[in-house]
Amino acid sequence: MGVKLYKRPRLKNPVMIASWPGIANIGLIVVDTLREALKAEEFGEIEPWDFFYPQRVSIKGGVLEALEFPSSKFYFRKTRKQDLIFFIGEEQPAGGSSVYAEGEKAYQIANLVLDVAEKFHCRRVYTSGAAVAPIHHTMVPRVWAVPNNRDLIAETRKYENTILMSEIEGREGQGNIVGLNGLLLGVARKRGIEAICVMGEIPVYLQGLPLPYPKASRSVLEVLTRSLGIEVDISKLDRWAEELEQEIEDVYRQIPSEIKQQLEKLKQVTYARPAEPSPITEEDKRRIMEDIDKLFKKRGRGIE
Amino acid sequence: MSERHPFKVLKKPKIQSSSLVVGWNEDAGQLGPGVIDYLTGELGGERFGEIEPEDFFSLGGIRVEQDVAQFPESNFYSCHENNLVIFRSTPPGFEWYKFLNSILDVAEHYCGTKELYTIGGMVALAAHTTPRALLATTSSQEVKESLKQYNLVRDMDYQTPPGQRPTLNSFLLWLAGRRNIAGVSLWVPIPFYLVRSEDSRAQKKVLQFFDERLGLNIDFGDIDHAIQKQSEKLAQARVRLPEVDDYILRLESNLRLSQEENERLTKEVEEFLREEE
Repeated sequence: MGVKLYKRPRLKNPVMIASWPGIANIGLIVVDTLREALKAEEFGEIEPWDFFYPQRVSIKGGVLEALEFPSSKFYFRKTRKQDLIFFIGEEQPAGGSSVYAEGEKAYQIANLVLDVAEKFHCRRVYTSGAAVAPIHHTMVPRVWAVPNNRDLIAETRKYENTILMSEIEGREGQGNIVGLNGLLLGVARKRGIEAICVMGEIPVYLQGLPLPYPKASRSVLEVLTRSLGIEVDISKLDRWAEELEQEIEDVYRQIPSEIKQQLEKLKQVTYARPAEPSPITEEDKRRIMEDIDKLFKKRGRGIE
Repeated sequence: MSERHPFKVLKKPKIQSSSLVVGWNEDAGQLGPGVIDYLTGELGGERFGEIEPEDFFSLGGIRVEQDVAQFPESNFYSCHENNLVIFRSTPPGFEWYKFLNSILDVAEHYCGTKELYTIGGMVALAAHTTPRALLATTSSQEVKESLKQYNLVRDMDYQTPPGQRPTLNSFLLWLAGRRNIAGVSLWVPIPFYLVRSEDSRAQKKVLQFFDERLGLNIDFGDIDHAIQKQSEKLAQARVRLPEVDDYILRLESNLRLSQEENERLTKEVEEFLREEE
């Protein structure tokens, strides 16, 4: 079990950006878009067999030719302003019925990723994921940021369109980040490595659909590229987000009008502080959430 | 601190350069368990070791099946006279790589295993009266060549379809290849309405191959009797249940049934076989 590096690029205080699949693959799309746009080069991988069940077998003429496992790969890119390492995990080593890793395997793989971060003297690690929020899909998703030490809060407050947990009504600075996109933050803290998780908002009623949500990835990308001082062409992502928006609109049109009425109210929900007094009451919010829940149970969709 | 072995060897078997046969408790048509029980019974297999369950199974409780409490079992048997190691197990729930390596560790280190055979049933949309075929996939071209004198389908092309995963047998075959153990995965298509019952014909097909390949000199009397009994029961089902007869006739004429008809046929046959037991 371990990391295999094909080459050892000379990198100057790089930043690592890592992600695994999660709700609507918001984080994974962020990292993959950056990797592709910056033409990052693959330089290593985590050996998969201890962590994953194989995903594909190829048999040709009766002979087993290949057994493929989910990949966990490292990429690098040197830029004028900032050297970067990307990590993309194709799956979380969940082991059972869940999509999210937990326990020993999760801890092991998080440490292997951070071993690489330390080997290349990464000054910081970012992870990315989804924040399920009571918002409407026509709104621009915000980014929830969770740093792994207090010293990073001041910096995080300066990010545009970004909120901290303490700014979300009713949360009092608390919350959970499920799976490896969260765990990496904790393990980094234990090892004294700075890390921030940036999560793009997804409307609560879309979280169970088997659709990506590139609109939220776009919000995260804006935050990340500005904070890193890099520029990338995200026109492809924009086109994809527009296509998906259209698909969502098509589904939305089919929703029964009484439920749609409730969902429309989400356009006016202000759940972040400081805020104007909310135009809908707590009772309204509770009813909206109940209706949404009923709607998607009726549609037989599960939550990722 | 040294890592503990996940297996326990109760008694070192006196065999070398052995062949290893692996079957899983949950298999279509009870193919793996049926073949393995027959082999251990016929060849006087002696249990000599096991893989401990705690690393590989969720032990948060037990499963009850047909009124009886179940518990994961992963046992090794040796058949000294035939230089054969047999492994029968519940499929592990996690840590598959470690589990499958443990099988090969025991077989290689304690029994000098040089070749591996895995057994697995696959679902076929065919009637039970269709002759059973035996398919083989191998870990290398050389192993494939060594099987040419047997009546096997050896030229299968296959890719895991989207949304599915490879079988444990493919995973084990791949691992055997990495260790330079000659590996063969044996597959028998099982009529879909016998998948949750026993398919004695399929079991015999595999037993015949082992008999020939490994020179086991198996007495097929008991399995022939089981085949005859099952054929009679299924013939009775066709007489008593015209709907079942109609479905099977259509399958025999290479016609496809609808999903609903498939389910109805399976339900009727399973209930009939259970009542007759």
